[in-house]
Amino acid sequence: MLKLEALTFHHSDSQGDQNYSFDLVGRAGEIVGLTGRSGSGKSTCLDLIAGFLTPVAGTVEVDGTNINARPPGQRPVTILFQNNNLFEHLGVRENVALGVNPSLKLTPAENDQVAGALSKVGLGDMLKRSAASLSGGEQQRVALARSLVANKPVLLLDEPFSALDMDTRDEMLALVRSIVTERQLICLMVTHDVRDCDAVADRRYQMIVDSGNRRVEEVLP
Amino acid sequence: MGAGVAGQRRQISPALRWVTDISWRPGVIIALGLLGLVTVVFIAILGVGSTVGSSDTSGIGQILMITFIQAGLSTVFSLIVGILLAWSLRHRQQFPGRRLLLSVLSTSMVLPTLVVALGLVDVFGRRGWWNALIDLAGPGFDLATVSIYGLGGIVLAHTYMDAPFIARGLLHRLENIPAEHFKLARGLGLTPWQRFRNVEWPALVPAIPGQCLVVFLLSFTSFAIVLMIGGSPRFNTLEVAIYEAIKLEFDLPRAVALALVQLFVCAALVLLTMSLRSGNILQAVRRPAPMWPEPRFTLIMQWLVIALFTLFFVTPLIAVTLNGVGADFVRLAGTATFRLALVSSLWLASVSALLAIALALFMASSQRHFTSRLRSKPSPMNKLYRGLLTFSGTVYLAVPALVLGLGFFLLARSFLDDLTAVAPVALIAANVMMALPFALVILTPAMGKAADKYDRLAFSLDLHGWARWRLIEWPVLRQDLGYLLALTFCLSLGDLGVIALFGGQGFATLPWLLFQHMGSYRTADAAGIALVLLTLCLAVFFIVPRLFEGRTRAET
Repeated sequence: MLKLEALTFHHSDSQGDQNYSFDLVGRAGEIVGLTGRSGSGKSTCLDLIAGFLTPVAGTVEVDGTNINARPPGQRPVTILFQNNNLFEHLGVRENVALGVNPSLKLTPAENDQVAGALSKVGLGDMLKRSAASLSGGEQQRVALARSLVANKPVLLLDEPFSALDMDTRDEMLALVRSIVTERQLICLMVTHDVRDCDAVADRRYQMIVDSGNRRVEEVLP
Repeated sequence: MGAGVAGQRRQISPALRWVTDISWRPGVIIALGLLGLVTVVFIAILGVGSTVGSSDTSGIGQILMITFIQAGLSTVFSLIVGILLAWSLRHRQQFPGRRLLLSVLSTSMVLPTLVVALGLVDVFGRRGWWNALIDLAGPGFDLATVSIYGLGGIVLAHTYMDAPFIARGLLHRLENIPAEHFKLARGLGLTPWQRFRNVEWPALVPAIPGQCLVVFLLSFTSFAIVLMIGGSPRFNTLEVAIYEAIKLEFDLPRAVALALVQLFVCAALVLLTMSLRSGNILQAVRRPAPMWPEPRFTLIMQWLVIALFTLFFVTPLIAVTLNGVGADFVRLAGTATFRLALVSSLWLASVSALLAIALALFMASSQRHFTSRLRSKPSPMNKLYRGLLTFSGTVYLAVPALVLGLGFFLLARSFLDDLTAVAPVALIAANVMMALPFALVILTPAMGKAADKYDRLAFSLDLHGWARWRLIEWPVLRQDLGYLLALTFCLSLGDLGVIALFGGQGFATLPWLLFQHMGSYRTADAAGIALVLLTLCLAVFFIVPRLFEGRTRAET
């Protein structure tokens, strides 16, 4: 289970002091949506969970363990961004293999694991392609394959499909749904599109902005 | 607005409108004129070159080899230091004085080479600060004493001037790496080395061949540095050999033979440089990547690189300043030669800078005319015109100042008794051609972007001529123009190329006067002149761009 408890973050910008507070729960096999308008703090929430930002108070727990002190690479978390999920100068295989071993020195078994993950996302025949030659949807599939080989229980999605056309987006959402269910992942999906969220998420939280204070509230069905 | 603009346009004379249209014609005529100038110079050199058989051409192979070796070593060292510096500055984004440090490093392009050489001699010369420190440390440290004169000194000076140039270019590329890539690297647990190999190095690679070739070319045609700290004829480069053949040996055919070799090699390098222009594979940064703690060893290395290079860069400038303030400025200002050199330097640099920018504006405007589908229909002639403009804009790199000076020198000798009459023209021509590549590199893309964004709107509003310039080009270009004005002024002010051939009692500039005083061991006066040159360059480089800053910059 992913549990954010009184997770608090501050920063100051041209609009003054901004205070963020997150209380949220996600369970295995569940897709939890987080919606809100641009700049409301959705991505900040993911950055706090992934360890890119440091909270001033509160905890991030995964399966009962507080992971606040862990650096991003050692957290049980993978994340997909809207853009730039792949290193375009590397091949498809290398991009996925980074999720297994950053030195890219893979054992035969790990190579099989990479090929299996690519097959799982429907790109089994693109192992040797360069990342730059892929379409937007294919690039996101490769990134999803990398999160599969990383084998971490929490999957964070930072509007990863919003730049795709409607058909490809539906395909990707269905793929995420099946992977989350099959692997019993905890998935937190940030999006500004409530319809997308309602189509795939089991539950939804909404960012509430009250002058400089931002918090999340669960939207009841 | 359209009616108002039309009203303004009717008040402009047809001739002025033809020019202010910033259309394609003036740029093409200028490009042809520059190529014509180079051709005349080339013919003048070839004319004397036909007598080369009777001249002493011995040792030219050896000189060529030394020139290649010093330029190669200078490039390698500048690249290594430049990469380390860019990488360290990329990861140390917040420390007091970072912006000041970046500004100071950016002056490396405009520092007069002779002043840099003097500063490095003050620090690393036989009686320099470094050796004084070693003496203080005691006899056990004798091995650490250094002498700047020789190949090592030349490479050190070129690294001083070129490493910041490389670092700034590469830092820009590192800063344009998408934040998501750094987050991915962090999320995947990449070590600093793995991050460099997989994220940073691939972003740097496309820029490195082009930057290396530019630095190689600059080192290959380096004159003042080699002249000052080469130390012995063994390390003479082609440029210095040309100078010595003209001024010391009075052997014009030998100078011409050397110039032809220089021209041939530089032209080949320029063609290679033009073919290696890298496309930008990076996307613009939407927001800077956050900073995370680095491992202790990496952190220490980054701080060490920044601190050591800052010390290396700033110390010679401090030495020039401290030695210079002791000079007798009242007496110096009282000498006619100093006043002549100061006034000549200022007006030559001003005219050169304004002319270079005007020519670059017309050429950049022509270039965009032939690349914009809105402005010209696709035709094979467009490609020809574009090639002409590009080649003409980079032609200085293929014709080093001293070779250009030699051409003017030979031409003037054929028609005039008094060389000083042609000297200002030769100097301004050389300065303009030296500045043009820099000006075009900045103005061409800026004007192209302005056209992409505003052409449709401007054409629909019938906005052109002076009104277009005032409402579109000026707001978009004003900051670039301020920077370019300062850059080209400083480049012209500090150059010791053509003036080394033409300088004399009747015509002098500050770099020439400095060189004369150094040669005659009038070190106090030399230090004073160096300080005046340094102060002028830094003041112009920092103040002039500020004068061109608007409250907001027009977005392209």
